[in-house]
Amino acid sequence: MFTHVKMEPPPSSMRSLVIPTPCDHLTDFKSRHGAAPFRALQHCLRIKPLGRAAICRDPPEEVARCVTCGLSSRSRLYACVTCASVSCHVIAGEVENSSEEKTGGENEIAVGIKKEERSSSPSHAEAHAAVHAEEIGEHSIAVDVDRAELFCCVCADQIYDCDFDAAVVISQIATCGGGSIPAPPENLRKRRRVDYRPWSPGPHERVLITRSSNPLKHLSETDSMPWGLRGLNNLGNTCFMNSILQALLHTPPLRNYFLSDRHNRFYCQKNSINLKPRIVGSGNGNRNLRLCLACDLDEMFSAIFSGDRLPYSPAKFLYSWWQHAANLASYEQQDAHEFFISMLDGIHEKVEKDRRKPQSQGSGDCCIAHRVFSGILRSDVMCMACGFTSTTYDPFVDISLDLEPHQGSSAKAGSAKSHHSCNGKANSMSSNQTCGISTLKGCLDRFTRPERLGADQKFFCQQCQVRQESLKQMSIRKLPLVSCFHIKRFEHSCVRKMSRKVDRYLQFPFSLDMAPYLSSSILRSRFGNRIFSFDGDESDASNELSSEFELFAVITHSGKLDAGHYVTYLRLSNQWYKCDDAWITQVDENIVRTAQGYMMFYVQKTLYYKASEKPVT
Amino acid sequence: MKRRRFRVRHSVNRPPTPDAADDQQKQPSLHEIINIKMIESGEKERLMELLKERLIDCGWKDEMQNLCRAFIKKEGRNNVTLDELIRAITPKGRASVPDSVKAELLQRIQTFLVSAAL
Repeated sequence: MFTHVKMEPPPSSMRSLVIPTPCDHLTDFKSRHGAAPFRALQHCLRIKPLGRAAICRDPPEEVARCVTCGLSSRSRLYACVTCASVSCHVIAGEVENSSEEKTGGENEIAVGIKKEERSSSPSHAEAHAAVHAEEIGEHSIAVDVDRAELFCCVCADQIYDCDFDAAVVISQIATCGGGSIPAPPENLRKRRRVDYRPWSPGPHERVLITRSSNPLKHLSETDSMPWGLRGLNNLGNTCFMNSILQALLHTPPLRNYFLSDRHNRFYCQKNSINLKPRIVGSGNGNRNLRLCLACDLDEMFSAIFSGDRLPYSPAKFLYSWWQHAANLASYEQQDAHEFFISMLDGIHEKVEKDRRKPQSQGSGDCCIAHRVFSGILRSDVMCMACGFTSTTYDPFVDISLDLEPHQGSSAKAGSAKSHHSCNGKANSMSSNQTCGISTLKGCLDRFTRPERLGADQKFFCQQCQVRQESLKQMSIRKLPLVSCFHIKRFEHSCVRKMSRKVDRYLQFPFSLDMAPYLSSSILRSRFGNRIFSFDGDESDASNELSSEFELFAVITHSGKLDAGHYVTYLRLSNQWYKCDDAWITQVDENIVRTAQGYMMFYVQKTLYYKASEKPVT
Repeated sequence: MKRRRFRVRHSVNRPPTPDAADDQQKQPSLHEIINIKMIESGEKERLMELLKERLIDCGWKDEMQNLCRAFIKKEGRNNVTLDELIRAITPKGRASVPDSVKAELLQRIQTFLVSAAL
């Protein structure tokens, strides 16, 4: 099925892709033939189950090989784009395999396998690919038969072309049931950019401000701590709550929202009284209307950022939360992550009750909790028989990551040495299983890796119309403003009726680039890194949000599963502070690096203020 | 193993070309025969996918990617050809394949050979 594709100039997002300059032979070929031969290759592509493309043979089982040496077992076979003759390519001096040593030299002999375009060249039975190209001057461009990648026989190097890659990707998408890929539920609309204009109060506003507000007391000279650092009293095993609250109080977009009075608790309470209870039979009608976790948070923000350094008791907040999450209302130790989810849910629910129509969570338009933390995950399930891909989108507020299984990999330790010398950056030691250190990037790699669904989990393929073995792959379609990573350190085994904690150290970076885990990157690598603008490339550019994040809070858990303690480390003005319930101390960053991370909070780099936050007098 | 003649398929429009395969005097090697059988039965592709999966899981692919990046960075992006890269990386690549992966693949090939011989 040949769909005529109109080759448009690459969209603006693609211009950021580095398209290598074509060699003279490619330029020459294209000026002679245009893009037609490459487009015609759509006929000749076979898409393998995992999405990669190869040149198809007719019949499919026919083996591509050279006539003279009769070899099909060369590692690279190239089909000339002009006349379909196949040459094998051997690197001079390359040893094929350990048992058989081939003397070097290029055994390039042509044989016809499949016709797509014919030139009126003379007999080329024994034409050397390079000689062939020299003689005729048009047959320098060839395609790797197994990989569908372009090669220039004269330059003896791989070459790249937009039209070719576009033809390949279109064929790949068509095989995967491309037409049925749903657009993500959120219209990632371009936010109209508002130019930044610094604001200063006019005379009328100055009067309003002085009359209607109380100035914060100046910090004493001995107080060198930044604003907003205040201990939280432990009200009875409530360190799980305190640790999360400390992180949230210093989550930049959340802090800005509340400190700029976007949720005014006085107005909110006033409105609650006027509202009629919409949900009938929900128990305490009036009391539930006044229950608003956002209001309690607002009160807490005011108290925490007041400049008062005495520890604060979040009793009111705790009581409100108990009312929201009745099943967790006790003085028993709770899981901090569970509390986090419950709290976001509580904020969301109250907003939902007040609104007329529900907003989807993925866009973040529903409430501040989702605006800050919500992203969209993409899940692809690929049929291993035919390649048909089923795609779904789901919102998420955090990512729970498994720690790597206990060192079962038998990769040689020796190879780690070459790995270390490669890149100086610590961040490059991503899947460092050879060294035995678990890293956050390693966990994210595994999170976005294709996972084979077991034989007992066969997925119904729409194309094959039967249950087939499938491959599942996750990727991030839309990044949140704040990425929260939760490390699954608590293992609950229903079988053995026991739970245990995994204490293994996890290395996490202070700066994190999420680009490799985006859907566009995952798709790109699935389809073989083609010059093509993949799903999500455009939106990221228009949103003007990068994929770079900065760490600002780490919650650690020490001790056993049922008898442990949570502590939060906060990064303010590039200094680290340990928040242990009511005690706040400045600590060295290495303390944080070596801490046992349970939850890590990263904020978009553009929202992270590195400059020292001096109080405005 | 039976000696077989490999006939090359010709398309209708093709000009008459001496069938070079007929001039072939050398007997195809065992390596070649096995390769062809594996491709025809589809086993080669299955094994390739399995191998890819295993090499990703143990971190080999990432290691190779890093080696390639380092090599290209050192030599200069425009000064490296595909062949040079392959020549530089292949020895290290071959040496760092975990024994367990080798064993598994060999086992599969062995099984295939047994079933193919029957």
